[in-house]
Amino acid sequence: MLLQLHNVFKWVNSGGQRIFLLKDINLQVQQGEFISIMGPSGSGKSTLLNVIGMLDGFDEGEYQFLDESVHNLKEKHRANLYKEYIGFVFQSYHLLDELTVKENLEMPLLYKKFKGSERKAMVADMLDRFNIVGKKDLFPAQLSGGQQQLVGIARALISNPKLILADEPTGNLNSKQGEEIMGLFKQLNEEGVTIIQVTHSEKNADYGSRIINLLDGRMI
Amino acid sequence: MIRNYLHIAWRSLKKDSLFAFIKIGGFAIGIAACLLITLFINDELSYDKHYADSERTYRVISEIPINGEVLKNVYFQLPLADVLESDFPEVEKAGKYNSSELFGAGKKTIQPYGETKSVIEDGFVFVSQPMLEILELPFVEGQPENALTDPLSLVISKKKADKLFPKGDALGKTVILDYDTANPYKITGVVDRSSIKSHFDYDYLMHLRDTNFNWVNTNYITYIKVQKNTDIDALKTKMLSVVDKYIIPELNQNEMTKKFVDLYKQAKFDLQPISDIHLKTESKIFDNLKHGDIRFVWLFAAIACFVLLLASINFINLSTAKSANRAKEVGLRKTIGAFRKNLVFQFLTESILLSFISFVLGILLAWAILPWFNTIALKSIGIPWSSPLFYLIALVTALLIGIVAGLYPAFYLSSFKPAKVLKGSLTTGSKNKNLRGGLVVFQFAISIILIIGTLIIYKQMDYILNKELGYNKEQVLVVQGAGVLGDKVDSFKKQLLELPMVSNVSVSDYLPVEGTKRNGNTFKKIDDPTEAVGVPGQVWAIDHDYVKTLGLEITLGRDFSIDRPSDATDAVLINQKMALELELENPIGKRITNGDDWVVVGVVKDFHFASLRDNIAPLALVISNSPDMISVRIGTSDLNESIAAISEIWGRNVGNQAFNYTFLDDDFAKMHDDVRRMGNIFNGFALFAILVACLGLFALSAFMVEQRQKEISIRLVLGAPFKSIYKLLTVDFLRLILIAVVIAIPVGWFAMQRWLEDFAYRISLDWTIFLLAGAIALAVALVTISYQSVSAALIQPLKSLRNE
Repeated sequence: MLLQLHNVFKWVNSGGQRIFLLKDINLQVQQGEFISIMGPSGSGKSTLLNVIGMLDGFDEGEYQFLDESVHNLKEKHRANLYKEYIGFVFQSYHLLDELTVKENLEMPLLYKKFKGSERKAMVADMLDRFNIVGKKDLFPAQLSGGQQQLVGIARALISNPKLILADEPTGNLNSKQGEEIMGLFKQLNEEGVTIIQVTHSEKNADYGSRIINLLDGRMI
Repeated sequence: MIRNYLHIAWRSLKKDSLFAFIKIGGFAIGIAACLLITLFINDELSYDKHYADSERTYRVISEIPINGEVLKNVYFQLPLADVLESDFPEVEKAGKYNSSELFGAGKKTIQPYGETKSVIEDGFVFVSQPMLEILELPFVEGQPENALTDPLSLVISKKKADKLFPKGDALGKTVILDYDTANPYKITGVVDRSSIKSHFDYDYLMHLRDTNFNWVNTNYITYIKVQKNTDIDALKTKMLSVVDKYIIPELNQNEMTKKFVDLYKQAKFDLQPISDIHLKTESKIFDNLKHGDIRFVWLFAAIACFVLLLASINFINLSTAKSANRAKEVGLRKTIGAFRKNLVFQFLTESILLSFISFVLGILLAWAILPWFNTIALKSIGIPWSSPLFYLIALVTALLIGIVAGLYPAFYLSSFKPAKVLKGSLTTGSKNKNLRGGLVVFQFAISIILIIGTLIIYKQMDYILNKELGYNKEQVLVVQGAGVLGDKVDSFKKQLLELPMVSNVSVSDYLPVEGTKRNGNTFKKIDDPTEAVGVPGQVWAIDHDYVKTLGLEITLGRDFSIDRPSDATDAVLINQKMALELELENPIGKRITNGDDWVVVGVVKDFHFASLRDNIAPLALVISNSPDMISVRIGTSDLNESIAAISEIWGRNVGNQAFNYTFLDDDFAKMHDDVRRMGNIFNGFALFAILVACLGLFALSAFMVEQRQKEISIRLVLGAPFKSIYKLLTVDFLRLILIAVVIAIPVGWFAMQRWLEDFAYRISLDWTIFLLAGAIALAVALVTISYQSVSAALIQPLKSLRNE
C-alpha cells in the first residue's frame, strides 16, 4: 500500500463558525493505481490533493504514507518525504518563466544534488522520452499550453517519484491537447507510475482506474 | 547550483529592468557617497603617521583659567624649549617655531640672488634646529642635524625649490627676502613634503634667532620629544616648576606685567600628542595651522552611512514589495524539492550579485565626481586603483552589504507556503505595509534633515557675505607686495589718484580680511587711578586716506587730517568696542596708552575685521608706515579697465616686478570658505540622499499601482473621475512624507542650532526654513509619485480587466 487516509478532517474557523473543508475522509491508494477525484467547485478536491501531497496539513485523523505516520511528522520531515516521493503537475503548469525548458527540467535534480553529468543524462532522457528535444532551449512563453504542460509533467517525473499528483492538468488546454496529455498519463500509469488527478471532466476521469466523488468535503 | 542562481537572478533583472535599475542605481549612489567620504576620512586620518617616535612627541599647551573659562594656548616664551631640555631629564629633545607675521613669518617676497624678478610666497616660518629632527622632515638635500644652525640659513620644500630653481640646484643657492639685500639667506636643505603628510605645512623654514630672550612674550610654539617610558602626567605636573622658577620672577620685575602673576599661578601644562594636532585641536586653540576637524569627519561618516542605509532600505523595500512576483517561484521550487536554506541562499546570491554590480557602478560614479569633490573639499584625493587592499575592502564590503541588505528579503520570501502561493492567493499582510511605510518615513526624515542643514548653511553663508560689515568691501582692489615700491610709494599713490576711476587710495597692511597684518597689545587709560589689567586690543598702522578708502564711519570726533602734523605722531582713532572696554564716556581728547601714549581724536563705528565667528574686538588706528599693501577704491564698475590702468602705472614704477592684486570682497569671502565648502559638501550629499529616497519612492509607487491595477480598472469602469484615482494613489504616500516632516524638523532644528552657535554673528532660526524644507520634500515626493499615479489613472480599464 502506498498511502492511507483514516478519518481525516480539515476545517477553518470563520466568524465563530467551523467550516469543514474535508470531512471524515478514508482513502487507501495502492501502488500503480490511477485515481480521479471529482466533484463540483468548492467540494474540497484540491484541498484533498494538497493534503495527500503534504503541502497542506489537516486537523484530525491519520495519514500513512509508505508506512510513515505523516500526522506525527514534523513539518520538515514531511517536506522531505514529499520532496522525495511525490511529483506535482499543476493546472497552470507553473514553469519558471526565466528558465528554458532544459533548465526547468534540471531544477529538481539540482536540489537533489545530482552530479552535472548525471543531470545532463537524465534531462536528455526526459527530453527524448517526451519528444521535446527540439524545444529544449525555448522559454515557457514560447511554447503552446499543451507543450508547457508536457514540460510540467516531464519535470514532475524526472526524479522518479512514486506518486504523481495532478490538479486539473488539462484545465487550461483545448480538447485535443487535453486528450494528448491524458493519453500520456495513461501510458505512464501502464508503466507503473501511481497517479492521482483532480478533474471536472467525466471523459478525463475515465482514463483512470478509480473515481472518488467529493461533495462538501465528504466522499460519496 | 550557483550558476543556476546567477542565471535566474540575471534573467529576472532583465525582465524587470526598472526595478533592477532602481535597486542597483540607488545602491551605486550610496556606495559612491560612501567611497568618497571614506577616502576623505582616510585622507584626514593619514596626517602625521610618518614619525618613528610618534608616541613620544608632544606639543606643549598652556591652560590658564580666566573668568571661569580655561584659556588654552600653544604660544610660549622663547627660552621654554631650552629649559625643558636642560632641566628635565625626561625630555630628550625640545624645539620651537614662530609663525607670527609680526616677526616676519607668513608672506614674503623671495628673489634668487642675482635675479631681478621677485615672487610673493606664503609659508615662511622661523624654526629652531631641533624641530627639524622632531618633525622628522624628509630631507632630499642637506642634513637635518645642522641645516638651520647658522643664521640666515633656509630650508625649503622640494616643490618650491623646483619652482624657484628649475634646474634642480637649489642647495647652496642664495635668496633675497623682502628686498633685504644686506641679509641674504642661504638654502641649506630641501625637504620633500609630498612624501609625508604633516600638520606642519610650511614651505620655507628660516633659522630662528634667539633674540627677544625673555619670559614675558609668548610667540613660540614648542614641541618636545620625551624619553621612552616617560610618565606623561607626572611630567606635566613637574613642568610647572618652570612657572615658579623662571616666569613669575621675571613678571614681578615689571609693574605692567605683575598683574599676570596671579593668572600664571593657576596655570597648567598639557602635552598634546603630535598625531592629535591635525584633527583633534580644539577650535579655540589658535595656532595658525590649517586643521581638519574630527567633528566633520564623524559628521561625514554618519552621512555616508545614512546614504548607504537609505539605499539598503530601497533594496529591502523593493524586494519585499515585489514578493508576489517571486512567490510562485518560491512555492514551485519548494514543491519540487528546494529546502528553505536553498532558497535563502538563492536570494542572498541574488542580492550579492546586485551588490557587486552596484559596487562597480558606484566606484565608477565616485571616480567621475571625484574632481568636483576635490575642488569643494580642498583635497587632492585619488582612487587607489593600484592598491590591492582597496579591492579587498571593496570585495568584502560588497559581500557584506549584499548579505545584510538581502537577509530580510531572503527569509521573508523563502517563508511562503507553496499550497497558498500556488493557488495565487498571496496577500501581503498589513504588517508588511507598516514596515514599508516606516522605512519611507525614515528615508524622508533623513533627507529632510539634510535639506534643513543645506538651507541653513546657505542662509548663514548669505548672511555673512551680505552682512553690514561697517566698511564697504565692494570695488576695492588691493595691490599686494607693494613694499617693492620703496620710496616711490607716495608718487605711485598720486599717480593712481589721477586715474578717473580711482576715488581713494590708502597704504596700509592692516585690512579687515585674513592674511593681512595683525598684532596684540594691551591698552590702558593714562591717569587711571584704578589698577585695571588693561584691555587687549590691536593697533593698526594706517594712513590719512584709510577711513575714506574703506568707507569706515566716524561716529564721534574726526578723521585724521593731513593738515594737523601732530595727528601723525600722537593721535589715535578707536573703535566703539575699545571705547566701551576702556570705559571712556566722552572719549574725544582722552589719553590712552599701549606703551606709547595717544590722544583719542575720533571713534569709528565697529566694523568686522575678523571672521564673523568672532565678536568685534577692541581696535586702535594710528598713522604709521606699513607699505606692503595698497587699497584702491574704484568708482566705476568696469573693473577690467581699472585693473589694466593700475597695472600700467605699476609697470611704469617697478616694471621688473609682477603686479599682484586681490579684491577685498574676494578676500572677505575667502575667510569664510570653510563654511561654504562644508555647505557644498552638505549640498552634494543631501542631493544624493534625496535622489536615493526618491528612487525608492518612485519604485514603491510603481509597485503599488501595479498591485492595484485591477482595483483602478474597476473604479474607472464604474465611472471614477481622474481626480479621485489620483488622490487614491497619492494620499497614502503624502501622509508618510508629512510624518517624516514632523519627525525631521525638531532634529534638524536642534542640530543646526548647535552648528550656528559657532558663529558670534548668525541668523536666527525661523519657521520659514523648516516650512521650506518640508515643502521641498513634499514637492519632490509628489512629483515622484505623480508620474505613476497619473499614468495609472489614464489606463484603458478594459485592457487590464480582460487579462484577469
